[in-house]
Amino acid sequence: MTEPRPDYLPEAIREKLIHDPRVAEQDLRVEVQAHRVMLGGNVASPQLKQRITEVAKELLPDYEVVNETTVVPAAEPDDEEPVS
Amino acid sequence: MIRIAAVGDLHYGEGSKEILRPGLQHLQDRADLLLLAGDLTRCGGPDEVKILADELRGLPVPVVAVLGNHDYHADREDEVRRVLEDAQVRVLEGEAVTIDIDGARVGIAGTKGFGGGFRGAHGSDFGEPEMKAFVGHTKMLSDRLERALTDLDADLRIALLHYSPIEATLEGERLEIYAFLGSYLLAEAVDNAGADLVLHGHAHHGVEKGRTPAGIPVRNVAQPVIRHAYNIYTLDPDRQALAAAAGGIS
Repeated sequence: MTEPRPDYLPEAIREKLIHDPRVAEQDLRVEVQAHRVMLGGNVASPQLKQRITEVAKELLPDYEVVNETTVVPAAEPDDEEPVS
Repeated sequence: MIRIAAVGDLHYGEGSKEILRPGLQHLQDRADLLLLAGDLTRCGGPDEVKILADELRGLPVPVVAVLGNHDYHADREDEVRRVLEDAQVRVLEGEAVTIDIDGARVGIAGTKGFGGGFRGAHGSDFGEPEMKAFVGHTKMLSDRLERALTDLDADLRIALLHYSPIEATLEGERLEIYAFLGSYLLAEAVDNAGADLVLHGHAHHGVEKGRTPAGIPVRNVAQPVIRHAYNIYTLDPDRQALAAAAGGIS
């Protein structure tokens, strides 16, 4: 496969993160500046956040990966909403 | 008062064990029913859903679910469904279930739903076979949802979806992907049949609250949106019965 042109690199990374079964996240934000990949969005666990970094580094070993994704809390709700 | 706990988009997979379970510890004291709005797995693997099913098995309240697009990815949705049903989770697709809670009949009609877009910008089943299949799928599921809701004999009726029926709960998502996040046909089905509450997931960057064009409350319970193990919505079955007797939906 042809290596993607720099303009298309963010989409190539996004596709990899969607299709790699270790991640399978469709909602991650990907930006590339020089040799730095910046990743954002919500993830369900610290393990998944780690996997995302690993997958991005495997794809682009010569790039710095800055993973700024946020682990979403999953505690009990504080209250309830009366709908009717 | 009936207390409905709901969450979607749990995306269970390798490394997910015990993400949800701590938040479910006091579920019995907080809610009468737990509804799951699809995308229960990362890639639709039976091994993935087994991790979640083990956390749901033995919960002291009934659990009802629909599947989401991720749960279809491995083409093993029937196995995913069986794993959930083995853990006493009722899975709905174009079907409904009625659960008795303290003498009130709570009816839930569920479907994954699908995309297409919203009024004024909805795809048409016109042109290539792929486009016909895309929109045709949404139409079929919307028709089934309307029938399932209409046939429910219950004091409260809830539509449980994965895809969104309205644009309002998608605010925050990129406009370009609205057509892949839901369809107005789902809202039309709900408005035609009537319901007390609509729950959906899928829109991780959306907002929680909206209403159908007929005014039925819609809640986006995607976990990244509600940022809790679940949210709780309370409904008064007596008030709904009174409203129905008066010829309207409150």
